[in-house]
Amino acid sequence: MSLLKLDQATIKFGGLVAVNSVSFELEKGDLFGLIGPNGAGKTTCFNIITGVYAPTSGKINFDGRDITGTPSNRIAQQGICRTFQNIRLFHSLSSLENVVVGGFLRHKTVLGSALCYLPSAIKETDELKTKALELLELVDLADVANTRSRDLPYGKQRRLEIARALATQPKLLLLDEPAAGMNPQEKMELLQMVKKIRDVLGVTVLLIEHDMKFVMNLCERILVLDHGEEIAQGPPAEIRSNPKVIAAYLGEAV
Amino acid sequence: MTQFNFGKWFGTRAISILVALIFCFLLDKFMQGADKSYGRFLMSLAGIYVTLAVSLNLINGITGQFSIGHAAFYQIGAYTGAVLAANKFSALAASKPLLWLLLSALFGAIAAGLAGLVVGIPSLRLKGDYLAVVTLGIGEIVTIIAKNQKSLGEAYGLSTAKIESIFLISLLAITCIAVCRNLLKSAHGLAFLAVREDEVASAAMGVNLTRIKVTAFVIGSAFAGAAGALYAHTKAFVSPPDFSMDVSFLILTMVVLGGTGSITGTTIAAVVLFLIPEKMRDLPYVQMGTPLGVAIGIIVAVVLLRKIQESFHGAGSVRLARNIGSVGSGAVVAFIMAKLLVMVPAFQGQINGALFRMPVLAITLVVLMLLRPQGIFGHHEFSWSWVQKLLGKKAPETEVAV
Ligand SMILES: Nc1ncnc2c1ncn2[C@@H]1O[C@H](COP(=O)(O)OP(=O)(O)OP(=O)(O)O)[C@@H](O)[C@H]1O
Ligand SMILES: [Mg+2]
Repeated sequence: MSLLKLDQATIKFGGLVAVNSVSFELEKGDLFGLIGPNGAGKTTCFNIITGVYAPTSGKINFDGRDITGTPSNRIAQQGICRTFQNIRLFHSLSSLENVVVGGFLRHKTVLGSALCYLPSAIKETDELKTKALELLELVDLADVANTRSRDLPYGKQRRLEIARALATQPKLLLLDEPAAGMNPQEKMELLQMVKKIRDVLGVTVLLIEHDMKFVMNLCERILVLDHGEEIAQGPPAEIRSNPKVIAAYLGEAV
Repeated sequence: MTQFNFGKWFGTRAISILVALIFCFLLDKFMQGADKSYGRFLMSLAGIYVTLAVSLNLINGITGQFSIGHAAFYQIGAYTGAVLAANKFSALAASKPLLWLLLSALFGAIAAGLAGLVVGIPSLRLKGDYLAVVTLGIGEIVTIIAKNQKSLGEAYGLSTAKIESIFLISLLAITCIAVCRNLLKSAHGLAFLAVREDEVASAAMGVNLTRIKVTAFVIGSAFAGAAGALYAHTKAFVSPPDFSMDVSFLILTMVVLGGTGSITGTTIAAVVLFLIPEKMRDLPYVQMGTPLGVAIGIIVAVVLLRKIQESFHGAGSVRLARNIGSVGSGAVVAFIMAKLLVMVPAFQGQINGALFRMPVLAITLVVLMLLRPQGIFGHHEFSWSWVQKLLGKKAPETEVAV
């Protein structure tokens, strides 16, 4: 059974059909790429999967459950978490605190114990911090654990977003242009990191990326969107030679 | 990360609570006596304003929800306490005043908390700044109800049992500060801050926005209600003007001035902003030239300070010296201008110094927004390692700063 299934998902903003009857399935353990020209509807796809918007029509199934129209926070609890194209960190919090917020959704203590500073709340906070530090080590940010996230360079902010999303213990991780603004060296490291997230942590990954070399090297299957519609789906080799994709997006270069 | 140690936790908790109780008790004892009644009144109100400002800071500063009608919940608490003490509980209020005062604060908190729940749920579910509009309206509605309800004394007001207790007032303020501080030390508190920082990202991380916002709003309102009940008995009288829009704005100013989100800053700002206008009531008559000269001095100081902020990038000590120099120049200019201006016949007229109470608030706010828009403390909090740093000692390796 597939982990995520979009069935003719459609969303309209006024007259604009941003995502038009898009269907695809992700198997557990997939490394799936979503590409297409600017304004194709890629981020909007993420937004309907994560409940930022409810689709105008169509169904979304996750892990055997219909999650169409479920609010964002509940979807995160069910195991989908994401990063944002335009980085959305909690700017005045430290790196570590950002990741702790990610881990908070599985908290067990009640608010009252935090207000009274009871041992249960302190212990839980300590545990969350320990776990957060492990994740920071995974994305190679342990040295800036106490730095305010606003003060981090761009590439590190992107990695911090990944750590924060991983802290929610997702089954499915959505990455929206994770390599944007990174230099070739950082991109190489990111590629290894995403592989590790899938291979070691067993998290299924769906990612949007404009860097074709990155996507083709990393993803095992790719879906191409144009004007909200699917124009191709398949393994990288097939996508690279698909005439429709070349015309709409890749051009002659790749 | 240090391992949690129950013994140490219990020890520090017990000592802090004991110290707080003793402090409140001694403060209360120290302020006894008929000759200190005005000082007692000032201190009571300062404590009440600290509670009000710190509780609003939980809503506005920590959770980032813009509430501008905090006085409404203060008023609900005050009238609840006053009405109950005047009717149902008059016997208890007379026989065991302190016990009643405690209960009264509790009833005030419950009433205001419930009101906060009723107001908060519908307005905080929506995206956008509906809360500001709604709280503005609620402030007016509560006042109008009080003004027109016979059982609430209408426009004249309501008298109730006089029970003064610096002990309970300071204890309430300390509790309010402690609760907020505890919250910020836990992962729960980080979720509140996350909502302030970015709602979309918080929701994507599984944070239930409505729940966090409503919780903050209800807790903040409940503390305001408790403060209201204590106020009612301190003054033995409640009337609508005590809870007007001005009061809401004064509390809001305290939060903004102290540094939105900073409990330390809010506490200090609350005391200062309450005491300045209060103390200025006693100002003597002065000649028109004096305040004018002072105003010119302030402008000179602010202009110089801003220049340094904008264009000076040198060492910290030089910067400090220049800042002190700017303030000094401002003071000298103020002094000279005041002396000169009073020689001009047009500026020799007498004016009541107390009239400057409100303008001073406005000027403080403008100056602060020019020089330090993030508030005196910004997002920072008081901590011992910070004091050590200030004293030039090397701070111990802190665990993750919260
Ligand atoms: N909330 C919204 N209201 C109206 N239009 C929207 C909204 N969100 C997205 N759109 C429109 O939907 C279309 C698809 O946008 P989307 O952000 O999904 O593109 P994208 O494929 O992610 O592009 P890019 O590569 O530039 O990130 C765009 O035309 C955009 O203007
Ligand atoms: Mg996009």
